[in-house]
Amino acid sequence: MEARPALSFQRPGAKQLSSMGMSGALSSSLPVLPTPLEETYPKLPDSQQVSMERELVTRPLNHASHLSSNSSVVGHMFSSSSGFSTDLHYSSLSPHEKHSRHSPFISQSSTNVASLPITHSSGSLQSTASHYAKENSASWQTDSLSSFLDFPVNNPIENSQVESSSCNAVLASEEFTKWADQLIADDDALASNWNELLGDTSVTDLEPKMVFPVSKSSPNFQAHQSQVPLQLPATSEEIRTVANPTSLANSAPAKPRMRWTPELHEAFVEAVNLLGGSERATPKGVLKLMKVEGLTIYHVKSHLQKYRTARYRPESSEGSSEKKLTPIEEMSLDLKTGMEITEALRMQMEVQKRLHEQLEIQRNLQLRIEEQGRYLQKMFEKQCKSGVDKLKTSATTSENPSTPSLDTVQESPAKSELDASQVDHGKTGTDPVNANTALEESSQELGGKHKVSEANNPENSEPDACESGSQPSKRPRTDE
Amino acid sequence: MKFGKRLKQQIQETLPGWRDKFLSYKELKKLVRSISSAPTLLNGSFEYGRAEDEFVYLLNNEIEKFNAFFMEQEEDFVIRNKELQQRIQRVIDKWGPKGNHPSEADYKEEMGKIRKDIVDFHGEMVLLVNYSNVNYTGLAKILKKYDKRTGGLLRLPFIQKVLQQPFFTTDLISKLVKQCESTIDAVFPVEDEEKKREAREAIIVAGEGIFRNTVAALQSMQEIRRGSSTYGHFSLPPLNLPDSELIQSVQLNSPIPIV
Repeated sequence: MEARPALSFQRPGAKQLSSMGMSGALSSSLPVLPTPLEETYPKLPDSQQVSMERELVTRPLNHASHLSSNSSVVGHMFSSSSGFSTDLHYSSLSPHEKHSRHSPFISQSSTNVASLPITHSSGSLQSTASHYAKENSASWQTDSLSSFLDFPVNNPIENSQVESSSCNAVLASEEFTKWADQLIADDDALASNWNELLGDTSVTDLEPKMVFPVSKSSPNFQAHQSQVPLQLPATSEEIRTVANPTSLANSAPAKPRMRWTPELHEAFVEAVNLLGGSERATPKGVLKLMKVEGLTIYHVKSHLQKYRTARYRPESSEGSSEKKLTPIEEMSLDLKTGMEITEALRMQMEVQKRLHEQLEIQRNLQLRIEEQGRYLQKMFEKQCKSGVDKLKTSATTSENPSTPSLDTVQESPAKSELDASQVDHGKTGTDPVNANTALEESSQELGGKHKVSEANNPENSEPDACESGSQPSKRPRTDE
Repeated sequence: MKFGKRLKQQIQETLPGWRDKFLSYKELKKLVRSISSAPTLLNGSFEYGRAEDEFVYLLNNEIEKFNAFFMEQEEDFVIRNKELQQRIQRVIDKWGPKGNHPSEADYKEEMGKIRKDIVDFHGEMVLLVNYSNVNYTGLAKILKKYDKRTGGLLRLPFIQKVLQQPFFTTDLISKLVKQCESTIDAVFPVEDEEKKREAREAIIVAGEGIFRNTVAALQSMQEIRRGSSTYGHFSLPPLNLPDSELIQSVQLNSPIPIV
């Protein structure tokens, strides 16, 4: 058992077990959806890190409980095929296996990952590829990155031993077959273009849903690689999940989650009305009428259920979360006149609007911050490639090593946006715009003391950062 | 542990069904602490690798939890949104001035109910957006802690993935919120500016429910962004709410209102 302190993560209930955070990409034969993916295992740093987009293949999981050890989320399969991407969602197994992370497993899996050398990969890839091709009826184009894939296919993971990284277990061929058959049996239209499912407008919704790779692996694995002899993933332990990055701990049979949009719902309602209303309509009928690719009967069924509840008990469904609170509210409300109620509602609206506004602002800020981070990272890497040599050759004795260019590069994008975040304790209240200007100066002061920002503290971090760009060495902390 | 405390408060204040859907920040923090006490990278790469894998694994589980909950709620909202609109339309068609059986009394009565429902609906959606944001913030913080403690480089790429997750892509919900607002403005026009102002000056006692949650969320947000000891490139600026008196004027009482 993993000797970790008890982590009380709640596992979703049964119904959610089956749900996968997949935005609908259910079917095994998943459509070609170009989704930007990042590799989880950048075994081949150059090729991988360069490209920002990878196609990810994840398998939908419905795997069986015996694939019980939880998916280690980590695995990703890539196929950097041009335009081909199968998004399969992979959800793994049973929630109970928290202890699935056995050390042997983990080390092996990491070894595994690391141990997928290019040479091996091509061989295994092909086998995997063919396997997938069979199952998915889709063509696989893989590059060496997909060496990942080699694991699973040939290793059915039977034992519930924790060691088997269930996630990958999914890859066990028989499981996959079963699952694939099941899906196909459900609906002919499974092998469909995902885009059609949600209509054009919602395409963007799909993309994010994909994979959530375990990002950090590369430095790690490189280290591992040097230490561990290459092993082929012979045992079940070495399987990493390929699936969806957010390795779902769901074991349930095939119920990837669908993201319902208003348009989709409209189509649903129309179909239901054509069939005579929500009471009379059947999931199968609705499914047929809707003719939406990728939609399964499970989706329709659950949606229909929600729909029925919402229609026939409008009060309770809308006030469902406050059901038990309504009596209290009503008590106090009854004492007010109608006008006061109106005012109270107006106040409530004000507050809600305010909150929403702030949330949107905050979200945008967060997005921009991360964008900056990405930008900086890219610059680092670029400069690294060109600058590291320079650094090594030119003797830098000064405190500010030969990275003035890096400095400027970092400074310009960084300063404008990120300085906003370097607020001194004392400085409060000014809105971001003012804060920016105010902080530009203060950050200079802070830089000396606090090492607050990378831009301000280039001396130590840059060269190291460059070198450690793809290595696990400890990066000097810049945020203190 | 400022964020942790804030998060806990928010969870306490949140709608009951949501309590277990938030980020398990505390546990993750403990985990990070125990990881950092593991041997350094050079000495024990296996250990490190394993610990990191576990961490990532748990994070992914959390994310999955968020996604599942979020999408479920989203689906409900989509359905309810349509239902509300239809309901409003039905009332207008039946009892409205140009309806089949125009009746001001009935119209007002039904609209009154709808108004409450729609405001609550709006509130719930906003709370869902808040949920998404809070969890994102928690994730960002825990990742930062992780990198800090272990010297890893997990944060940046991982957060990129998080940004694309369903639970963080709240565009649809925001759109529904705005739609809701315009519906409310259309159907319940603002009548008297003065009355509004008076209401604002009043101290409102907020019982349990959506309103309370919303206020709590706003206050929390303000607190969380008041200032940080670990500013960096990835920190948010402090939150300055216009009309913050509005928020302050709302007292959050204990669940049992004193009537």
